[in-house]
Amino acid sequence: MTTTATHCPYCALQCAMSLRPAPVTAATPMDPARPAAPVAVDGRDFPTNRGGLCQKGWTSAQVLSAPDRITTPLIRGAGGELCPATWDEALNLIAERVLVNQAEHGEGSIAVFGGGGLTNEKAYALGKFARTVLRTPFIDYNGRFCMSSAAAGANRAFGVDRGLPFPLEDLGGAQAILLLGSNLAETMPPAVQHLVGVRDAGGLIVVDPRRSATAALTGDGKGLHLAPVPGTDLVVLLAILHILWAEGLADEEYLADRTNGADAVRRSASSWWPERAEAVCGVSANALRRAARLLAHASPSRGGGGAYVLTGRGVEQSTQGTATVAAAINVALALGLPGRRGSGYGAITGQGNGQGGREHGQKSDQLPGYRMITDPAAREHVAGVWGVDPDSLPGPGVPAVELLRRLGTPAGPKVLFVHGSNLVVSAPNADRVRDRLAALDLLVACDFVPSETTDLAHVVLPVTQWAEEEGTMTSLEGRIIRRRRVLPAPGEARSELEILADLARRLGSTVRFDTDPAAVFAELARASAGGPADYSGLSYARLDAEPALFWPCPATPDGEAPHPGTPRLFADGFPTPDGRARMHVAQHLGPSDDVRADAPLYLVTGRVLQHYQSGAQTRRVPELSDAVPEPFVELHPLLADRLKARDGDRLRLETSRGVIRAKARLTAAVRPDTVFMAFHWAGEGSVNRITTDATDPVSGMPEFKVCAVDVRLDESSTAGVA
Amino acid sequence: MRLVVIGNGMVGSRFVEDLIGRDGDERFEVTVLGAEVYEPYNRVLLSELVAGKADVAMLALGQAVLPRTTVRRGIAAAGIDRESRVVLGSDGSRNEYDLLVLATGSSARIPPVAGLSPLPRGVLPLRTLDDARGIIAATLNTHRAVVVGAGVLGLEVATGLARRGLCVTVVHGSPHLMERQLDPIAAKVASDALDRLGIAQRLGVFTEEAYVEDGRITGVRLADGEVLPADLVVLTAGTIPESGLAREAGLEVRRGIVVGEDLATTQDPCIFAIGDCAQPPEGGSGLIAQGWDQARRLAIQLSRSAVPSRGPDVPAGAEDEVEVLDEVPSAGGTDVVRLKAHGLDVITMGVCGPSRPAAEGQRVIQLSDPHGGRHLEIVVEDGRLVGATCIGAGSVGADLTAAYTRRTPVPVDPAQLLLRPVQGVATQASSPTLMPDRTTVCSCNGVTKGAIVACWRAGAGTVAEIARGTKATTGCGGCKDVVGGLIEWLNSTDPDRRNAPAPSSSRSGDPQQVPSGAPVIA
Repeated sequence: MTTTATHCPYCALQCAMSLRPAPVTAATPMDPARPAAPVAVDGRDFPTNRGGLCQKGWTSAQVLSAPDRITTPLIRGAGGELCPATWDEALNLIAERVLVNQAEHGEGSIAVFGGGGLTNEKAYALGKFARTVLRTPFIDYNGRFCMSSAAAGANRAFGVDRGLPFPLEDLGGAQAILLLGSNLAETMPPAVQHLVGVRDAGGLIVVDPRRSATAALTGDGKGLHLAPVPGTDLVVLLAILHILWAEGLADEEYLADRTNGADAVRRSASSWWPERAEAVCGVSANALRRAARLLAHASPSRGGGGAYVLTGRGVEQSTQGTATVAAAINVALALGLPGRRGSGYGAITGQGNGQGGREHGQKSDQLPGYRMITDPAAREHVAGVWGVDPDSLPGPGVPAVELLRRLGTPAGPKVLFVHGSNLVVSAPNADRVRDRLAALDLLVACDFVPSETTDLAHVVLPVTQWAEEEGTMTSLEGRIIRRRRVLPAPGEARSELEILADLARRLGSTVRFDTDPAAVFAELARASAGGPADYSGLSYARLDAEPALFWPCPATPDGEAPHPGTPRLFADGFPTPDGRARMHVAQHLGPSDDVRADAPLYLVTGRVLQHYQSGAQTRRVPELSDAVPEPFVELHPLLADRLKARDGDRLRLETSRGVIRAKARLTAAVRPDTVFMAFHWAGEGSVNRITTDATDPVSGMPEFKVCAVDVRLDESSTAGVA
Repeated sequence: MRLVVIGNGMVGSRFVEDLIGRDGDERFEVTVLGAEVYEPYNRVLLSELVAGKADVAMLALGQAVLPRTTVRRGIAAAGIDRESRVVLGSDGSRNEYDLLVLATGSSARIPPVAGLSPLPRGVLPLRTLDDARGIIAATLNTHRAVVVGAGVLGLEVATGLARRGLCVTVVHGSPHLMERQLDPIAAKVASDALDRLGIAQRLGVFTEEAYVEDGRITGVRLADGEVLPADLVVLTAGTIPESGLAREAGLEVRRGIVVGEDLATTQDPCIFAIGDCAQPPEGGSGLIAQGWDQARRLAIQLSRSAVPSRGPDVPAGAEDEVEVLDEVPSAGGTDVVRLKAHGLDVITMGVCGPSRPAAEGQRVIQLSDPHGGRHLEIVVEDGRLVGATCIGAGSVGADLTAAYTRRTPVPVDPAQLLLRPVQGVATQASSPTLMPDRTTVCSCNGVTKGAIVACWRAGAGTVAEIARGTKATTGCGGCKDVVGGLIEWLNSTDPDRRNAPAPSSSRSGDPQQVPSGAPVIA
């Protein structure tokens, strides 16, 4: 019996685990609806999770044996049903429709939508396929919904975007951490181990309109919970900046030596004295001062033990997400944190390969190695690796929300490939997305379990998942880790690497597409050489031998020792033209869809521990589904009282986009002016059907996290029970 | 289009930034005249500077370098020639305009006290950066200060000077403090708070005479004959809109320059007034939030509007009003007054103070706690908060401000607003015996107390064994102590595990929750 070292299939923490053959015992349940997992999962000691796993991780193997795994290609028949087909039938159909549309409408009539759960190899191959075979500019991915604001903010400020520019375990030594819009106690629970030290120091500051599981970690004197009015996190940061400067707590020497733009930022922060900020964000001036002082006293320039500023989707999924990240970075820079060991700024990546997925060419404006597609040198280098003419590469496309808006319109794409994304649950204003998908000539969905998006596809292609494939992922720390295969592909499922290579041939392309993940990685490494995310010094052989390799890790000349990788960035400067970090003025404009008389409450969205993203995987794990089986609306008892709603009553929520219904769950953990819903479900309680698709002007990030809503007791529910 | 702005203060400079930011068509050529030589600075923070709570650098708002914009600092406007549409500068310059925006602000009101003309040394208003510097310089060698006027600014100055260690007396003609915002009961609570800060008060009495020796202040005499020795007197007796230019130019001026909803002056549709110098239909509040809101509204309006058609030689006519294409809503709740006073916590908004109308349909609810230094009053109408007064109320004031400015619905019983809603209680803190069985002990793995008890009964006796059986403690590990405590409790109540305690009955039986954390290993 052997065990295989790999990592969890879900979030960006990528907890280390070992897989071994499942022990067959008499107690193994024989319920066909709940087949036993084919492998058993053990936690594995690793710097990030230290052997810990959450409920999702422990039960992750059950997705491998989901009773409704897709195991053959499916083609929608004349009767509207998806029917099993051969690979030849499916791929020929796709190739034919692609060629017809290209001939009629040009190369821009084909679009690709990728996912942040794909391995680096698949993400790379997908970007290459779009640019060299389809030659379409229209590729983007669901990471746009995840990391785009953090990426834009970090790139502008530091010249590079690596979620955490330091190993996660560095947090353990901090004396203060400002954590904005992250509920990591639910989204990546084992990460909480790294907060023990800062909590013991009383320095955990959580900014969240809810008393989330993470915010509750500040209780008992472990820190401070600031609960701003939804959509005003930026004001909290501007006030903290104001206080730092007003009270002489900023690290002026660091600002002078290592940054540009501090003067303009200070002037803009002048307008946000704490009492004014209080009136806008609802956090008392005193609490704002306490937060600023806690951070300052923990900062190395004042002799503290170290401080971090960390952001998550709660503040980034906003029409001012990039500005909010800029302000968070400004706070970190004003305190002199980035580039000092034991301090810094970081964004907590969400999806499993949310980091690697944004580095290798799935993004509408990027080529592998985190290069810009508009940069002639980058085009030339990458075209050289791909063996194509640089001029044949398309230019930049459009970000996800705009791409989705254009689908099936007269001038927009007619064919869409979706890889590892359940758009109709996870995209904002999802009913409109559903309409756009319905207007396509051809929707191809590649997935391993049915989803609400495969349900709409004309062709569904079965793919391998997680324990059925080799690959690499890049974790939230920028650490490149190996995913390993322990099981054969079920039925006729194939890796996307094979599918793309096959399609390339059928479409008449001569561009080479390897199907061996190690070979694809080697090509990816060459393509990334010289880019900000340089993997050229890495190989499967190295990764198998060394578990602590962080990019950039450039190749070294023959005979020289290999590059050791870069666990910590910025020690010697920032990768900007002058080596200084750039501070950007951030202006608070407020939510795009703010409360008004006919929608007087805020709707905020998020996640629960038991489910991952659209729930396509976790809803298929009985233990997880039993624990949180359906959508719910968290609301404060005072608001419930006003609505005459009791716990469990059905509520009707209406926004400018539409109406949904879900059960009430009363809790004092949410502000009385706010209701909360998790987005993991489809159907009548699918909250993204009513979220807004207004986007950040810089990053293209949609404003998932806040909109105005009218909530009332659902009158239609009282009659229905037969 | 040539646009001249008179005034380079907080509102004038904000307006120009807003306008140029929206001027995508590059229609405007802007000239700004500013009487002060300084770049625009944050006047609101002058009292913080006096209190020693803010660094002077933090006041700088900065002169944004804007395209198509000329800023002439140190050049005051000497006159407006509406016929030729020219603003005369104090340097003799002629600044031609198509549109003119007055943002001249206000000046400190010098109360009618004998001996204040000219102002003796040691007597200062607090309106400009130079005033603040003068006051701070004076605090270095003085011990006794008198603050004349106990409105918002007066109290901020008084507490600030007290913070610097001065003996401070506040003199106020009205019988109670902040009478524009506070009714007598609320004012008394605020007054008591000042007492506790050691700030003496003389209320309901006017200052009649300033005693001056060798051009320097030595004290003041009050109307009741009392003499207060003082080597620093700060005048915070209100402000007067700077409307002289407008009046001389024939524009309608009452308390301030009269403007309509569109912020245009009543006599000349090409001239606008914003900020403290203006008197809009709802009245000027003297608060920066109102001025900034006007700046934003006017910038939106002008950037969207058609060019006024009137030629320079045609007199103003009603038909030539600047067209407003879209209604620009005013940001809600610009009348929140929030004292920035060290040790004195006062917030008012909307319907408040002695002049509040007893409108029908308005519920007024008070929480009066004078010994606790706390007084709260809320006014509710149609399920919305329309006014509030908070003294010593801490975070409740912040909550009320959010509810007021956003008009979110209030609870069925609005009295709930007077206290902070109780936040979630940590579920892991209670003792093992009191914890209901369905309490989640390990949230990472959804393991309840009931499941842990069941696992213990099945033979698990250590944290590691419980972890193997239930997965509890295997996520973040934060529940290890609680699981250890549970084991200890179980071991002590029934060391032989024969008569294990019956699980304490959960108050609301939720069958779905009970054993969800039972052993899961396949």
